[in-house]
Amino acid sequence: MNQFTFESKQKNILIGFMVLGLLCLGLNFAFFDDSLHTRFWSNFLHNSVFFTGIAFISLFTLTAFTTAYSGWHTVLKRVWEAYALFLIPGLVLIGILIVGLWGHFHHLYHWADAEEVAKDTIMDGKSGFLNKSWYTFGTLIIVGGWIFFATKIRALSLKEDEEGTSDYKLHKKIRIWSAVFLPIAGFSSAAIIWQWVMSVDAHWYSTMFAWYATCSWFVAAIALTILTLVYLKSKGYFPNVTDEHMHDLGKYMFAFSIAWTYLWFSQYMLIWYANNGEETIYFRTRLDHYSVLFYGNLILNFVLPFLILMRNDTKRKYGTLIFTSILVLFGHWWDFFQMIKPGVLHTAQEALSHGADAHGAEGGHAVEFMMGFTIPGFLEIGIFLGFLAGFLFFVLNRLEKASLEPKNDPYLAESIHHHV
Amino acid sequence: MKDQNKEVLYGLYDDEQDLLKAVKQANEDHLEIMDVFTPFPVHGLDPLLGLEESRLHIAGFIYGAIGTLTAFLFMTWVFTRDWPIIFGGKPYWSVPAFVPITFEVTVLFASVGMVVTFYTICGLAPGVVNPTLDDRITDDKFCIAFNTNDAGEDKVDKLKSFFSATGASEVNTKTI
Repeated sequence: MNQFTFESKQKNILIGFMVLGLLCLGLNFAFFDDSLHTRFWSNFLHNSVFFTGIAFISLFTLTAFTTAYSGWHTVLKRVWEAYALFLIPGLVLIGILIVGLWGHFHHLYHWADAEEVAKDTIMDGKSGFLNKSWYTFGTLIIVGGWIFFATKIRALSLKEDEEGTSDYKLHKKIRIWSAVFLPIAGFSSAAIIWQWVMSVDAHWYSTMFAWYATCSWFVAAIALTILTLVYLKSKGYFPNVTDEHMHDLGKYMFAFSIAWTYLWFSQYMLIWYANNGEETIYFRTRLDHYSVLFYGNLILNFVLPFLILMRNDTKRKYGTLIFTSILVLFGHWWDFFQMIKPGVLHTAQEALSHGADAHGAEGGHAVEFMMGFTIPGFLEIGIFLGFLAGFLFFVLNRLEKASLEPKNDPYLAESIHHHV
Repeated sequence: MKDQNKEVLYGLYDDEQDLLKAVKQANEDHLEIMDVFTPFPVHGLDPLLGLEESRLHIAGFIYGAIGTLTAFLFMTWVFTRDWPIIFGGKPYWSVPAFVPITFEVTVLFASVGMVVTFYTICGLAPGVVNPTLDDRITDDKFCIAFNTNDAGEDKVDKLKSFFSATGASEVNTKTI
């Protein structure tokens, strides 16, 4: 079966979960929130960034593999092409945040408050980059650029299906576009992660942050790819995606879980060693008030995948592979939760107390347990499932638009005979 | 190997695909292959020869775990019991500072341990002479070898006809 059909049953289930997600968002907004709707907006930011990032990193992986003359992934490249197209709804999601930023609907970013910035030397110094215009312009230009490459590469790939020739002219074009995308993706993703995520702690900065967050996206994207492929295989699609491909995806998940840990630890250790007040407060807050998030993050994303996937056969058996994929997909969602929530809550509490403690980052904030910030609550899980269903709905819809195997891709035969 | 010299009948192939086909044929004919020599790892050969998966990685894990414990416990002992020094105002027992060294020692123990184990199992050491059937099996020839110590005339003829049927470019005997 080379042509995917998006059955109405699958559509109904996914729509059901999307409704659940919307319901959770609505309940969150209406009943379980403070007057600034901090929990609602931070959940929205968290999930939008997470899934847009998965779309981006899929495009990045695809282009990196193409540039590296990789052949093994060709049978499954349509999945990543479809993932990459989620950048379009992703831009809409971030667009809602931008509207909220200009309309003062949310209070996610401390730097968006002009009065606060005027009083604060550190934020004033950063205001050349951390301001509403840059946030808007950067998002539009950068995500717009990614969308351009995603649709361009997808269009060329589909055209190759129709009119692929033996001189592989179209494939060479894909390779050129891919190579052009890589450096752009590298720099632009870092800049946009600083804007979207790192700037929720406006006083804090880390040069490791972009790597670390991108790596988080990567592991999540690989985990989601494994889950999608296992599901589609169980429906009889992708007969040429064998245990060998799954093994390679499993190795990527294993290796990049370790790479993520390496980056996480490098960031942590440098800050721990230097012990500069404005840097250390970031981890001090997390260790003191968010220890479940902090240590849970390491267990979910390092200890468990490291120990489970270390053996050869756990990467080839679907049971362990599915289990670990769910674990690290949730784990990296948890990681982004942990990056965003403490900073947002701090900003909101400052705003609600009208700047009683004007010195921002240096003062700690309320220590009591707060559902949806200290740990993800049921609403957060519901919203996550809603976003996930939306992502999958879009992806399956795109998969239906083209044949699942790129039949004129020069590397198809190599990919079918892939053996590790 | 030391007790008795082996008489070996071996055939050389020019291509790994021919070799794979020949090994399959030998399995079908129930010929007992002594060994197969190739200049590089050939995909799909191990299951045909019925070789078990290597257990070297288990040894590697154990060496790595020993390395982790050695490094971590040694540093803990040094900095809390033997010679406590304060660095940069940090506590004596500063776990984050131990992590890079623990990691390095884990890798060192695992890699050196696995190399030594591998050499020991393969009987490789300085000064050891391992007889080779033909020098070209380290270059561009693929070799199937049969032990013909107790084989009768008809058995040897059967092996020779097997070699010619499967396209061996050369068939020789050697005592090693």
